[in-house]
Amino acid sequence: MLDAVRAEALKLRRHRATWMMVWIYPIAITLIVAGMLVYGAFRAHGVPAPAQPALEWIRESTTLWKLPASPPGRFLIAGFCAVVFAGEYGWNTWKLIIPARARWQLIAAKWVVALGFLTIALIAADLITLIGSWLGSFQGDGIPAGVTLAAVLEAHWQAGAHALLPIVYTIAFAGLFAILTQSILATVILSIALVVIEGLWPLIGLFLHQYVPALTETLVRVLPFYHLANLKTWASGAGLTMPLGPDAVVSMSWAMSFAVLMGWILAAAAATQLRFLRQDLN
Amino acid sequence: MSTDEPGGAPALELRALGKTYGRGAGAKRAVDDVSLTVRGGEVYGFLGPNGAGKSTTIRMALGLIRPSDGDALLFGRPVSDRQALRRVGSLVDGGTFYPFLSGRDNLRVLARTQGHDGARIEAVLERVDLARDAKRKVKGYSTGMKQRLGVAAALLDDPDLVILDEPANGLDAAGIQDMRTLLRGLAADGKAVFLSSHLLHEVEQICDRVAIVHKGQLLREATVREMLDQGEALRIEAEPLDAAAAALEGRWPVERIAGALKVRARRAEAPAIVRTLVEAGADIFHMGPDDQSLEEIFLTMTRDSDA
Repeated sequence: MLDAVRAEALKLRRHRATWMMVWIYPIAITLIVAGMLVYGAFRAHGVPAPAQPALEWIRESTTLWKLPASPPGRFLIAGFCAVVFAGEYGWNTWKLIIPARARWQLIAAKWVVALGFLTIALIAADLITLIGSWLGSFQGDGIPAGVTLAAVLEAHWQAGAHALLPIVYTIAFAGLFAILTQSILATVILSIALVVIEGLWPLIGLFLHQYVPALTETLVRVLPFYHLANLKTWASGAGLTMPLGPDAVVSMSWAMSFAVLMGWILAAAAATQLRFLRQDLN
Repeated sequence: MSTDEPGGAPALELRALGKTYGRGAGAKRAVDDVSLTVRGGEVYGFLGPNGAGKSTTIRMALGLIRPSDGDALLFGRPVSDRQALRRVGSLVDGGTFYPFLSGRDNLRVLARTQGHDGARIEAVLERVDLARDAKRKVKGYSTGMKQRLGVAAALLDDPDLVILDEPANGLDAAGIQDMRTLLRGLAADGKAVFLSSHLLHEVEQICDRVAIVHKGQLLREATVREMLDQGEALRIEAEPLDAAAAALEGRWPVERIAGALKVRARRAEAPAIVRTLVEAGADIFHMGPDDQSLEEIFLTMTRDSDA
């Protein structure tokens, strides 16, 4: 299995899509940090900004981890996964590697590499952000008192953990779309449609509830859209209450949303494997 | 030396293999009841016109397509057995590679996927004369170079069975000659070689046994010698030609070709033919062998099948 992962990594690490949709995180952050440091070096020293509370400074330093769960971040992840999973159809290369390795391992290797590359890129970008903040502290606005390394690490660890589920969810569905459609473009379009539906889900719920209230409530509870938003808001401290009408709301615990979302991720991953195992490659 | 299993299982065995695409009225039978065996130490040719089902059969033998009926066995084991499939090297679709990687990196990816370190990469690149171009990205390769890289990929894990779909496609005359030497060398090493081709002249020169497939069905499987013997014929120039043809038609299949007769008969039957012609009052000016090439036999068989 490790060999399959190494092969997948060798294949993708220098691919244009990886540069544009994965390595873009540390590259862009490096450029931004460098720009800010250069600006800081040359700006006129004026009135210093009011000191920021330690907790707020730590919370702001984790902003990067919100990116993967945002619509633009999801589009990038989906685009990369479209190349990872559907690229083999476009290059016609399944015929090269399928005789060499069990099909389930080839798909599993793609999962590991997609998640691994994204994790590496985001951790690198996060480290660059922190180093930039530390270097910036020598240019005037110092690090607030009370900010400790342990507190920073804990906050970043939590932010990273909260970002993981949206990343895995996006990979799961992009992978499924890729195997079903066998097309990079179709995978990207379907993945974008999924993100758009998620964004519109509160409005769709309100609209549908007027006509089929019971069904709408069931859909909100069963489909993954509400649960993804609910977990995002739980990460900020409180859950999401989704109004469906004057007398109907959906509000669920983070544990329930986590369980439902994990169910969808596992179902998508299993469907991907089952479909691929039975797929004819003409 | 042969690479067959000690128990006698052939390197490749297809048993009543069939594939149907679609369902109901729109269903298309691409391969129907194909059975054959390929043993170590032989080069086996799989002949057929475009759309005959050659590629579908090969893909079923490699586990790329699931058969609708029958079985494909590698060294006596089903294709789903990874240990058996690991002993197979293959070239399909003229070599399918990652266009953004170099030739060498493509082989590295394949080696890692196969689970080894690719120690033979340089050797197989040398063997197919691609060592100098191995650094270049595959998207810049010519058809012939991709084909040669495909052969290198097929040989990478030192397989016991090599399955090649149209290996001579895109190769120039020298490349085809090299390929012929390479394939005969593999067979001499005891490996089994199964190749599909439409270049019948090549197959005639390379293969020990051939199978002719048409519209998904196996028409004939035989050694090349047996196949050529089947096409044994005599060319006769005689006058009057009509009388000569009329005299022979009762006993032998006769065909008129450019002022002469082509009689499907073995050499041993020549005296009987001469007697028949003399009795019919025909003058004989020339009589000699008119052996068919594999190509002519192939065309005759597929035409008869269509009829």
